[in-house]
Amino acid sequence: MNIQIDALNTVTMFLFNIIVYNIVLLYGTVGEIITEKSGSLNLGVEGTMAVGAIFGYLMGCYTNSMMIGILFSIISAGLCGLLFAFLTVTLQANQNVTGLTISTFGVGLYFFVGKGLGDNFPAMSDYSAISEGANPIYIPFLSDIPVIGKVIFSQNILVYVGVAIAILAWVYLKYTKPGLKLRAIGENPAAADSMGVNITLYKYIHIIIGSAIMGIGGYYMGLVLRGSFEGSSCWTDGYGWIAIALVIFASWSPAKAILGTIIFGFFNTLQSRSGSLAQAFPDFLGWLKDIPAQFYSALPFLITAIVLVAESMRKRKNKNEPSAVGINYYREDR
Amino acid sequence: MKTKQPFVRIVRRTDFPLWAMIIINIAAVLVAVGIGAILLAAIKVDPFVYYKDMFTIGTIDNRFAYKNFEGLIEFFVPLLITSLALALTFKMKFWNIGGEGQFIMGAISSATVALLLGNSLPSWLTLIMMAVCGAVSAGIYGLVVAFFKVKWGTNETLMTLMLNYIALYALKYFGETQAGWNFFLSGESVRPVFATFPESAWMYTIKIGKFSLNITLVIAILLCALIYIYMKKTKHGYEISVVGDSQSTAKYAGMKVGRIVMRTMFLSAALIGLAGTFYVSTAHSLSTSVTNNVGWTGIIVAWLSRLNPVMILVTSLLISVLRVGCQTAATNFPVIDSNFADLLQGIILFTVLMADFLTRFKIVFRKNTEKEVEDK
Amino acid sequence: MAEYAIELRNITKTFGSVIANKNITLKVKPGEILALLGENGSGKTTLMNVLSGIYKPDGGQIFVNGKEVSITSPEESKKLGIGMVHQHFKLIDVFSAADNICLGDNSGKFFLSKNRYKKIDDFAKKLGFEIDSRKIVMNMAVSEKQTLEIIKVLYYGAKIIILDEPTAVLTVQETSRLFDILRKMKNEGHSIVIITHKLNEVMEISDRVTVLRKGEYIDTVTTSETNNQKLTELMVGRKINLNIERPVTEKQPPLLEIRNLTVKDDEGNTAINDLSFYIRSGEILGVAGIAGCGQKELCEAIAGLRPIVCGKLIHKGESIAGLSPKKIIEKGIAMSFIPEDRLGMGLSPSLSITDNMLLKNYTQASSKFNPFINRKKGRSDAETVIKDLSIDTPSTETPVRKLSGGNVQKVLVGREIKAGPNVIVTAYPVRGLDINSSYAIYNILNKQKKDGVGILYVGEDLDVMLELCDKIMVLCRGKMMGVVNSCNTTKEMLGLMMTGTENLTAKDGKTPGIAADSNIKEA
Repeated sequence: MNIQIDALNTVTMFLFNIIVYNIVLLYGTVGEIITEKSGSLNLGVEGTMAVGAIFGYLMGCYTNSMMIGILFSIISAGLCGLLFAFLTVTLQANQNVTGLTISTFGVGLYFFVGKGLGDNFPAMSDYSAISEGANPIYIPFLSDIPVIGKVIFSQNILVYVGVAIAILAWVYLKYTKPGLKLRAIGENPAAADSMGVNITLYKYIHIIIGSAIMGIGGYYMGLVLRGSFEGSSCWTDGYGWIAIALVIFASWSPAKAILGTIIFGFFNTLQSRSGSLAQAFPDFLGWLKDIPAQFYSALPFLITAIVLVAESMRKRKNKNEPSAVGINYYREDR
Repeated sequence: MKTKQPFVRIVRRTDFPLWAMIIINIAAVLVAVGIGAILLAAIKVDPFVYYKDMFTIGTIDNRFAYKNFEGLIEFFVPLLITSLALALTFKMKFWNIGGEGQFIMGAISSATVALLLGNSLPSWLTLIMMAVCGAVSAGIYGLVVAFFKVKWGTNETLMTLMLNYIALYALKYFGETQAGWNFFLSGESVRPVFATFPESAWMYTIKIGKFSLNITLVIAILLCALIYIYMKKTKHGYEISVVGDSQSTAKYAGMKVGRIVMRTMFLSAALIGLAGTFYVSTAHSLSTSVTNNVGWTGIIVAWLSRLNPVMILVTSLLISVLRVGCQTAATNFPVIDSNFADLLQGIILFTVLMADFLTRFKIVFRKNTEKEVEDK
Repeated sequence: MAEYAIELRNITKTFGSVIANKNITLKVKPGEILALLGENGSGKTTLMNVLSGIYKPDGGQIFVNGKEVSITSPEESKKLGIGMVHQHFKLIDVFSAADNICLGDNSGKFFLSKNRYKKIDDFAKKLGFEIDSRKIVMNMAVSEKQTLEIIKVLYYGAKIIILDEPTAVLTVQETSRLFDILRKMKNEGHSIVIITHKLNEVMEISDRVTVLRKGEYIDTVTTSETNNQKLTELMVGRKINLNIERPVTEKQPPLLEIRNLTVKDDEGNTAINDLSFYIRSGEILGVAGIAGCGQKELCEAIAGLRPIVCGKLIHKGESIAGLSPKKIIEKGIAMSFIPEDRLGMGLSPSLSITDNMLLKNYTQASSKFNPFINRKKGRSDAETVIKDLSIDTPSTETPVRKLSGGNVQKVLVGREIKAGPNVIVTAYPVRGLDINSSYAIYNILNKQKKDGVGILYVGEDLDVMLELCDKIMVLCRGKMMGVVNSCNTTKEMLGLMMTGTENLTAKDGKTPGIAADSNIKEA
């Protein structure tokens, strides 16, 4: 009897963890989708999230307010977006190089700010107003459903916000006029230009909004890790890169990104918790512990690589990938 | 154009004197260093003291200064070779951002050779076999991407990015899994630790007093000259330039574009694999952070140097000093860790990109006169 | 109501030293179709781009409904009720028809309305168009795309509609449907300007015709009072004597023979249709035709850059069909195609003149096993070409991109000739060049001819071709209209053949384009 309850708990916790520790991917992915739909490939997700994480955390602790923390993660990450937009849209710099540099720069800034403020840098859990943000919100009635109630309807506020942003982004891209214009820019900027769409403005706005969303993701990582800053590894450790892979896996759809987050999150969770599953179900999941954790870590990248090759082999005309992504638009080149 | 003419316009320019270009780039680096100084001052670190420590990589008043130079070379050599290799593909407008993965592949294969051969063969033969295996395996790892690109047009930027992480987790797997078959790990330690290479797999050094000069430095500088010649003087280098400039022109001239792309990518990845071999045979073991991020840093170095091999030599030395200097300075300044180098390196690239813009475009302010240049 | 919906007075537009439009006057009445007729490079498209706000004129006035206006941007032109249907469609392939139209909607609504499909379907139906507003553009046929472009223009309330070569991509049936639409629009009071060089269409659709030639306004005539002959005369003008030398050479056997060649363009339409012709050593064969009648595809097929659907390419009795571009270069067949943007094919813009000289012969300039590139040869070639063609450049190491247009072209033509080919395929070698450079190029070609090279000259200027070429082959929509001896033909005749009015292949009894002393042995 007890064993069964334990097993059920293990499954519940496993599923719960998929969401709680991986919703950051959704933020990163949705931010990157919005950016790429404007025709800009921003490889700076990792750095942008790191910047959002450190400034949001710092200002949140300083003011003892979660809202202000989130606000500053949005502002600081948005500034990274502004930098990217300025360099690639106005100055026509190469997108790959600029994005990669924002990644290393952002992580560098994370450590610089984190270390530099050394002693007065607090642990998040010391601040009730902040750590409350990670507390679950029990949705009435729904949270009482076994398993699902815990997994889906007892998450913290930022999980719900993340899903809401993804759905809003999906609606925005699919059903609104600015969304239509944005997609047009990513596909064929010259045609959009001839229809009177202000390309520079649209690119700036969406790169900045995309980066700001990534910034909330960074803040969230600091929050759920309940972490105090430690010098050895960054909170966003590698999640930014998985987010770039997830954009491809989700074929540039914020709605599919929710599903993709769960799938990639499943691998991430297996990496740390496959042991507990194997223990709970020794009979039919016992083999799980024989698979190395690093395999699960590599799986998102492996799958994305396969998706990339398969998609290009299919030579489908109707690609979800914006045709003009990665190419700077300069009107006089027409 | 009475009403709608924008206040500032951006016009392409083609004439910009070389001397002005050099000055504007040096100015950009100085501005970046200045921004770094402000950041340092903001956290109450005296920038002059810090920079002195950093740019001299802590050699002043140091009895063990030669160790610092050895450390610099250990970092500089892989960075130089990787940046040169990346410049080859960038010149072709092929975005190989997979330096990390190719480096790891080279390191793993040469470590395999080193650990399996042990001391059974003479040292020179072991080292050559390591270099060949490292280069070929990394080359194939890169060639796969070029093949997909040529055959189906698969996006090489994203593909090489993915392969970086696949290689990284393979390396971590070898480094963290204790098992009978895993010869990568040291048998003596309880915790998983990478095994030290047998002595035949140690890179040669030349003793100059206390300082041991690693011969990979000589090879790397030689490679720099060779790649300069390859890019500027050979038929292959010429083909790379044409393909990078205009694929339709290359086809018109009868060049086999697909073959050139695959060949160049193989060469580039193989060189990066060689850099991996040099690093592990100098460090005498693998590690999970074997790359020191040279795959990423190399992209920035190649770009800052405008893909010019001579400039790459200078820039990679500067960036190496920056990184190794930050590491040594970190011991004296506990509030700043070695990641300050990332920050500074990023700022340098941003300022140089802005300077680069000034050399490529002209900013035209609206004039009251109605005269203007039309493009056709 | 003003007498004219649109009136252009003395419009002048120059690009550097080239005058594209000189004192042009154009008047369009409400509810009429005006055809704008002229050869390539006569300034039609430039004039229309002035009207749609893409170019700003250097001089002259524009009146819309009697009021003087200044059109500074495409948006402003849209507000004035002027709509342009470009020859190359400005559509987003992955969007539905309706979404392509909604793209230009700047009204305040945030959400795309759900009934936009119905709204656009209704709008189209009201105007008598058949279109499925949910259809994705890339699944559309060319004619559907064009209809969509027209609806797009009308949707935003255009009263004056400019169509740039609308029938170039349409089949006969599609063209007649388009014309029905245009007539209907005319009856509803729209003014339509249709740019074309197809005479029969001009006769069929237009009320009046304005003719331009070499950037100048020639005349405006009422369609019902004119005919093909008169219009051709206006379009091509009287023969001008240019005094280009035409050396006489001895008759040689055929060098390059093309038999029953069929080639497709990038969109998969037939560009060259069952074409047979031959070039002898020491002869210049001109190729005349309106723009886009298969010249580019023909050149590319000969150079091995474009796969052929069927047919034979015989060079000195050996088939060169299916050989790689490199093998064809090695056989001594040189191709230089000057595209409209000049740098598109044949030159590497960031490389120096020296390096561009080596483009085709860098493998042969030194031994096959020598890995180094022979820049010395490139430099001496560059010096020779710079001197022979008086190219204006600071040095041999200047990137080609930095040269002016005429000089870029001289580099390209100079290189092709320097390589010492036995067949030269050259398309528009004097495009955009000044008089002196043009003559320099004619002289070079004539020298090659005297040395026994067979030359295929694809040109625009009929005056030049009549004097330079020995024979002229006329193409119309990828089909041959006949080969004429330039000594005994007229410019008017060529004009009629180019527009498809006259077809000589059907007239004389013998099979056209096949030499009596052919190298090809029929099985």
